[in-house]
Amino acid sequence: MTRKKVKLAFITNDSARKATFKKRKKGLMKKVSELSTLCGIDACAIVYSPYESSPEVWPDLRGAQRVVSQFKRMPEMEQSKKMVNQESFIRNRISKAADQLKKVHKDNREKEITQLMYQCLTGKGLQGLGVADLNDMGWLLDQNLKEIYKRIEGLKRAAPASGSEVVEEKAAVAEIGGGGGVDGSAAAMQRGQQWFTEWMGNNNININPSANQQQQMGSSSFGHNGGGDEMIMGGFNDGNNNHPATMWSNVFFP
Amino acid sequence: MAKKPSMGRQKIKIQKIEVKNHLQVTFSKRRSGLFKKASELCTLCGVEIAIIVFSPAGKVFSFGHPNVESIIDRYLTRNPNPNNSITDPFNLAEAQRSASVRDLNLQLGQIVNELEMERKRGENLDNMRKTNENHYWWESPVCKLGLEELEQLKEAMEELKKNVTLQGSKMMNSTSIFGSNVAGVFDQYESKPNQAILGSNSGASINNNFGYCHGFF
Repeated sequence: MTRKKVKLAFITNDSARKATFKKRKKGLMKKVSELSTLCGIDACAIVYSPYESSPEVWPDLRGAQRVVSQFKRMPEMEQSKKMVNQESFIRNRISKAADQLKKVHKDNREKEITQLMYQCLTGKGLQGLGVADLNDMGWLLDQNLKEIYKRIEGLKRAAPASGSEVVEEKAAVAEIGGGGGVDGSAAAMQRGQQWFTEWMGNNNININPSANQQQQMGSSSFGHNGGGDEMIMGGFNDGNNNHPATMWSNVFFP
Repeated sequence: MAKKPSMGRQKIKIQKIEVKNHLQVTFSKRRSGLFKKASELCTLCGVEIAIIVFSPAGKVFSFGHPNVESIIDRYLTRNPNPNNSITDPFNLAEAQRSASVRDLNLQLGQIVNELEMERKRGENLDNMRKTNENHYWWESPVCKLGLEELEQLKEAMEELKKNVTLQGSKMMNSTSIFGSNVAGVFDQYESKPNQAILGSNSGASINNNFGYCHGFF
């Protein structure tokens, strides 16, 4: 079957039109038949054409007559409620397509701005950008930050005994060092320290931000979180910035 | 927002569907598709059609060109001669209707094309993003990031947000005279405001800006 795109307009070429008519009429009848069988419903199709004096009908003359009578027996309102003609049908299609277009356009815009945002995060300048782009990027940043805050919150809550809180509060160092422990339980602190010891000693903490690495880290549960929650220590940025590593070492390896 | 993968084309047996839910969904989709095919047949070949379909719930759907009633009446009366108003070239109402259907089809064709192009564009953007996600950790979805990464990303984003807001207000200030169409007008120009003109906001520098205005209006 050819899959050439057909323009939705009257076919001016007589023979082409006739050929198309034959094929499509056949297909239409097949579709009505399938619909009727699959869903167990009554239906009929009546097709008048310049090529035949009498109409082509599905299922057959009697069957179609029956369905038509059934139709006419229904109250006027019911008949017209879901009745359409070319105009209304096409208008409806246009409206649906327009809605879809709006949505896809919006999604694409978001994708574009996301890309722009990442470019700006990695150094692209803001000079050439229009107000609309800036506005949208600002909004997107807010959305992302919201998600990040939530997730940071979640992660911290999931593993309070670990040194994650240390990242923020250098003051907490004293507590941890003193064995009092952030959550008050010595065992938990032990756990936390053990976990960090492992982590520090473990030279697997590669500064390579590749996705594989990430997953490796993500899934390797440092195993000692009693709650069963995994503390996911992701990869770190490139080797030039040892910032986080040094921070840890300050705390645990004085 | 990635499109959820559907089941795709499945071959099914043509027999009554057992699962009620599937049946209803199938009815809805196929009825819609049937009317679409009928509509296309009418447009492409200039024929007259009526289709009547009863739903599983007992409601009735119908499609007709030029309209359901005239086709039904014609069929019931076994009138071999079609209602002349349809082919009568002097029937203004019919002519107008045909013209409007033609226009509508054109419109439909255009918008369907646009939709297809936008969808393709979206696909390209998705592919680009996927490639980037594999190379740069910060482009991964937030849920895949670890605490340390999140903190870094957070700081970078907060910093960027600050700059964006700053840049945005800089631009807004230099163009507040011109109202909300700012973005469209100024996109073509340097975002750096002309120092001579930018005294302050609105009010005070109206006079200064008149010179500027002439360039645009």
